Amino acid sequence: MASGKPIKLDHRFRDELGLVLEGDGVNYCYQCGACVGDCPTARFDESFNPRNIMLAVLYGMKDEIASSTSPIWQCSNCFTCFDRCPQDVKPVEVICALKNLMAREGIVPDGVEQMAHGVVKTGRSVLITKLSERRRAELGLPDLQDVPVDEIRTLLEGSEAMGKDGKGETS
Amino acid sequence: MKRAFFPGCMIQVRYPQMEAAVRKTVPALGIELVDLPGLGCCPDPVFFKSLYKLDWLVLAARNLAVAEEAGLDFVTICSGCTETLAEAAHLLNEGTELLEDVNRRLKKIGKEYKGTVKTNHLITILRDEVGPENVHASVTHPLTGIRVAVHYGCHLLKPRAIMQVDDPDNPTVFEDMLRAIGAEPVEHVDRILCCGKSCRDCELPEEMTKTVLNSINDANVDLMGVICPSCFDSFDIGQIRVSKKFGLDFTIPPVYYFQMLALAQGLAPQEVGLDKHKLKPVKLLERYGAVGQA
Repeated sequence: MASGKPIKLDHRFRDELGLVLEGDGVNYCYQCGACVGDCPTARFDESFNPRNIMLAVLYGMKDEIASSTSPIWQCSNCFTCFDRCPQDVKPVEVICALKNLMAREGIVPDGVEQMAHGVVKTGRSVLITKLSERRRAELGLPDLQDVPVDEIRTLLEGSEAMGKDGKGETS
Repeated sequence: MKRAFFPGCMIQVRYPQMEAAVRKTVPALGIELVDLPGLGCCPDPVFFKSLYKLDWLVLAARNLAVAEEAGLDFVTICSGCTETLAEAAHLLNEGTELLEDVNRRLKKIGKEYKGTVKTNHLITILRDEVGPENVHASVTHPLTGIRVAVHYGCHLLKPRAIMQVDDPDNPTVFEDMLRAIGAEPVEHVDRILCCGKSCRDCELPEEMTKTVLNSINDANVDLMGVICPSCFDSFDIGQIRVSKKFGLDFTIPPVYYFQMLALAQGLAPQEVGLDKHKLKPVKLLERYGAVGQA
C-alpha cells in the first residue's frame, strides 16, 4: 500500500461496509495483530495481512482495499482470525463483507460468479454429469433428487444473487 | 438414532464414493439416515457467501427449515456444509431482526426457521453419540499397523465458538476415531494447516498443499486421512498438480475416514470406490483386496 501517490480516504467507507452483515465488526479493531500470527495466507504471502486490511478499512482506503488488485481474495477462509480476535471483529467476516461490496460493483475474480450462479440455476454448486450418475449407480447409490429450484428462485427474487437481469445469469 | 442426511453437492456429484462409504457403514452403528426431499446446496461457506451473504443465509435457512419440518437434526459429511449450516443457525438464533428478515423471505415459500435444528458432522456423532467403544465393536477387520497422517481441514473445527467440536489448535476427534478402528494416527508438524482450497490465486493453495504434503512425507505414513471433500480435492488432483509443478514425487494417498471405517467393517475396497482413486492407497488395497470376494 506504500506508494508515492496520494491516498484517497473515504470516511464513509466503514459505514457503507457496516451495512453488509457483520461488516461493522471492524469498528472494534484496536490493531493488536492477533489475527496475523496464525493466518495461513499471511504465512505464505507477505502481501496479505489481516491487520493491515482492517486498518485500510478504518482509514477509508476504499480504492486500495476494494479494487481488483486487492489481496482480500487470497483469504483462506479458515476462521483462525475469527477465533483469535480479542475484540470479536471477525476479520474473516469483514473481508467477506468487503467481497460482498465489491460484488455489487461487479469486481469479482473469474470463476467465483459462475459457481454462485450454478446454485441459483440448479440448486447445486456442482453440476451433475453422465459420469457422476454412472459412478453413483456403480456404487449402489440412490438417484439424485431434484432440488426445488423454483423455491430457490422465489426466495432470491429481487435479490443480488439474481443479478441485474433478474435471471441469475452470469453477467 | 435417526438423522436427516445432508450429503452436500461435492460429495454427491464429484466424490460419491464418500457417500457410499457413509451409507454402508452407519447401519452397524445404529444410525438411520433419512433422505429428506427438497434439500439444496448448503450453500458453500466460501464463494456463494462471498458474493451474496444475506442470500447465503436465506438458502441455508431454507435447508434448516426442511429438517425442522421433519423434526430431525442434520448429519453432514462435508466440513463445508457443516460450517454453513452451523454458522447460519448461529446467526439466526442470535439476531432477532435478522431472523425476522430471513423468515419474511421464507414465508414466500411457506417455510419458517424456528431454531430447533442442530447440525453435526458424522465424525462428531461417532464420538459423542455412538461412542468410540461402539465404533470399535462394529469392526471385524481392524486397520492394525496402518499409519495414518490426519489432515483436519478448517471448517469442521472453526469458528470454535460456533462449531463446538474440539480445540482447533489441538484437536483429537479424528485420531480418536482412527484408534477406534485399529489404525495408528501419526503426528506431523502441519496437521492443522489449511489445504489452501479457498484462496483465489493458484500459487498460494499450491504452496499450502505442498507444505502439508512435505509435513506428512516426513512422518513416513501409509496414507493421509481426510473428512472433507474439498481437502480431498486438494490432496488428490491437487497433489498430482503440486508434484508436477515443483518436480516432487508425492504419492500420499488421501482417504476419507468413512472409507477406512468401511474396510474395518469388512467391506471390499471397490464397494467404497477406493480402487478408483487417482492415488491408490496401496497398503489398504493389498490388505483388503480379497475381502468380500471370497
